[in-house]
Amino acid sequence: MYEENQAKVATTARKSRREPAVDMTPMIDCVFLLIIFFMLATTFSPLPGMEVKLPPPSKAPNPVKPENFVLNIANPEAGGSEGSMTLGDIEVSMIDLSAAFMAGNEKQKETLIIRSRRRVKHEQIVTVMDKARRAGIQKIGFAMVASSF
Amino acid sequence: MRLRKPKKKEPPKLVMEPMVDCVFLLLIFFMVANILKPTLPFTVELPDSEYRREFVRKKFNVYINANGQRSVDDKAMTDLDALEEYLLTHASEIETLMIHADRNTKHGAVIDTMERAKRATLDNIAFVLSDEEVLE
Repeated sequence: MYEENQAKVATTARKSRREPAVDMTPMIDCVFLLIIFFMLATTFSPLPGMEVKLPPPSKAPNPVKPENFVLNIANPEAGGSEGSMTLGDIEVSMIDLSAAFMAGNEKQKETLIIRSRRRVKHEQIVTVMDKARRAGIQKIGFAMVASSF
Repeated sequence: MRLRKPKKKEPPKLVMEPMVDCVFLLLIFFMVANILKPTLPFTVELPDSEYRREFVRKKFNVYINANGQRSVDDKAMTDLDALEEYLLTHASEIETLMIHADRNTKHGAVIDTMERAKRATLDNIAFVLSDEEVLE
């Protein structure tokens, strides 16, 4: 009888001790919201771009090798969108530029130096760089010119 | 006849722990991999080109709009000195400086920016191109 009672006491005692429960639902809701936010705000797509080579840091004028291509671009005229270009001493149009680059010899094709006036549009520069790259010119540099240029 | 009483059914339990673990892992992944799109103080319309290389998106991008206003990510730069100083402070974190210049930006503004980047010891510079594929 005593043992029976003891057993009964033990089981009721065990029953009355409930397992502690943590209510996780609100936290999970928050975490899901955060995940959705980060998923939407993250961009994994690569950035398309075109690398540029800058001349070495020196105050002296950059050593422009005569054998390299040097493209001068003039300011666009009032109302115009593109400035006229001269490759070396020869005036070239945007259409002829690819052919002119292709016609160059190996040494010329090593580097293209762009000497552009300040009011030339960035789009024209990028178009020139595009044509140069596709003609096989590896290095494209900019002649850093004084602000008054 | 005595019908058996239906058993008291316990409410079905959902085991949430494994899911919560996964969700936390995902959250941590996205938090680490996240580079927030900056909200620019102006709009920039990027130029197109058929030749393109792919760069990894990182922090510290320079934006120049058509009027020559500059910003680094969403931090507007009032003048070139501020830009140079800012780039110099973060030079160790910048591998390639990506310049997002508008297609109508004047070349002078881009050259000035590159000159300051050069002074801030940043040698690798790239122009960012438009995302849209160019149709031939």
